[in-house]
Amino acid sequence: MSKNITTKVALVALATTVLVTGIPAATSAAESDKAITVDYTKMSAEALAEHLLFNANGFKLEQLVQEGGPAGKRLEQDEIQKLCTPLRNKPVDSATAEKVTAIARDSIRYPEGGIELGDWKIGRELAWSGFGYRVGHKTDDHSLAKNGPGGNCYNCHQLATDRTGGNIGPPLTGYGKLRGTSDAMLKYTYDVIYNAHAYFACTHMPRLGANGILSSEQISHIMAYLLDPESPVNE
Amino acid sequence: MFGKVKYAVPLVLALGTAGADESFIGMAPEEILQALIDESGSPYLSQSPQNLQMMPDNPALWVAEDGEAMFEEPRGPKNVSLEGCDFGKGPGVLKGAYVELPRYFADTGKVMDLETRLVHCMITLQGFTKDDPPVKTRHGSASDMMKLQTYIAMQSNGMKWDPPMDHPLEKALRDAGEVLFYRRSGPMDFSCQTCHGATGSRIRASVLPNVNEPAEWTKAISWPAERAGQQNVRSTQHRLRGCLWQMRYPGIIAGSDASIALISFWTDVARGQPAIMPDLKR
Repeated sequence: MSKNITTKVALVALATTVLVTGIPAATSAAESDKAITVDYTKMSAEALAEHLLFNANGFKLEQLVQEGGPAGKRLEQDEIQKLCTPLRNKPVDSATAEKVTAIARDSIRYPEGGIELGDWKIGRELAWSGFGYRVGHKTDDHSLAKNGPGGNCYNCHQLATDRTGGNIGPPLTGYGKLRGTSDAMLKYTYDVIYNAHAYFACTHMPRLGANGILSSEQISHIMAYLLDPESPVNE
Repeated sequence: MFGKVKYAVPLVLALGTAGADESFIGMAPEEILQALIDESGSPYLSQSPQNLQMMPDNPALWVAEDGEAMFEEPRGPKNVSLEGCDFGKGPGVLKGAYVELPRYFADTGKVMDLETRLVHCMITLQGFTKDDPPVKTRHGSASDMMKLQTYIAMQSNGMKWDPPMDHPLEKALRDAGEVLFYRRSGPMDFSCQTCHGATGSRIRASVLPNVNEPAEWTKAISWPAERAGQQNVRSTQHRLRGCLWQMRYPGIIAGSDASIALISFWTDVARGQPAIMPDLKR
């Protein structure tokens, strides 16, 4: 989207130009002796936002994160994030939807040996667990999680009725009972968990597979929780 | 102009006008909340009758009492009280100061919120350094910081949020804060709006405030507030840190311009609504 390309150009221009203006001016990092003084009032809101994220001592960008590398990498927007951000959750126009769903479908990787259902009992714990990938003042140690970091499904979805789920996403109670376990249904369910934008462009739902939150083994357990007739979701 | 994007929610709520025309000065925090509930029918505001019942016994009230004594006490290497601190309405003027923050301060050339301004006064007036515990320790009811913040903020109870937007820096940071609020980022693709964009949105059992509904948003941003589940009074910066932590963003640095930008935006969103000081939250 051109807005973001303009932002990058503006940032480069900013970085290579020392802007020293008269009053008022804001020093970007209060405690440092950086020679560059940046005038926030001369920047677009988008450019200032990027500046505050990356160049103004706003975040602990160098902290190492669970997936490896510095935390600052998490703030770099990828294609889908850039396409969806300007919408602010307004209904997606068809041009954007086409682009987003194409990128999403392209990202999907299926497990070797095909899609299989795992153990719904592990899936139940993974669906409930909101542990994992948090950093900053308290970093989640993934070695402490027996089944790995959770999918946090219950945050947004109602699943089995013995626990309270949120309503940011549609209720999934009776998911398997309503749909069965045909190959098509297995594929669809896997796709949505892996990258929900394949069907719902600019969805709220995180890209559990594409963004490496859940392993394919973990996805198989959560799928079992959704689809296995024995699962409490399908009571 | 912040976008008032609404979902097709089947509820018709009178939230837009609730709280706008009347005075809440002289009302206790729970009375303010009850009035907003009565006018708005908001699912967020009314989600916990138990919370409302506990508000007269809010532990934050005692933290504020400690804060009042501390505020008036000569402290630090320079042995002066904070009564000389200018929070935007003149040295020592606390009434209404909190609801006009964040704001631009000419003496520092920066837009500052309560916490950064308090830190500034503790350092420049009282002679503390940024590494002295009274300044460095930002969290917990036992901290000087929370005692002072809770007391100062309480002096604006019932007053309407009214952060100034005349200075170009105030507007610049507020607008950047709006961009940050709506930015899809991080491994979960979350923006603040992901959770705070629709009335009645619930994470597990907790109903969330909608940024598009000022009567909900005023309670959302009413910090310092006692977190019942954490048994501590928490600050605005603490709330922001907590949100970004759950959003899987990198850790935000307290008092940074990034934090001021977000706080400026979210205070502007609540403009005209009464502050509930101190508040009680789960």
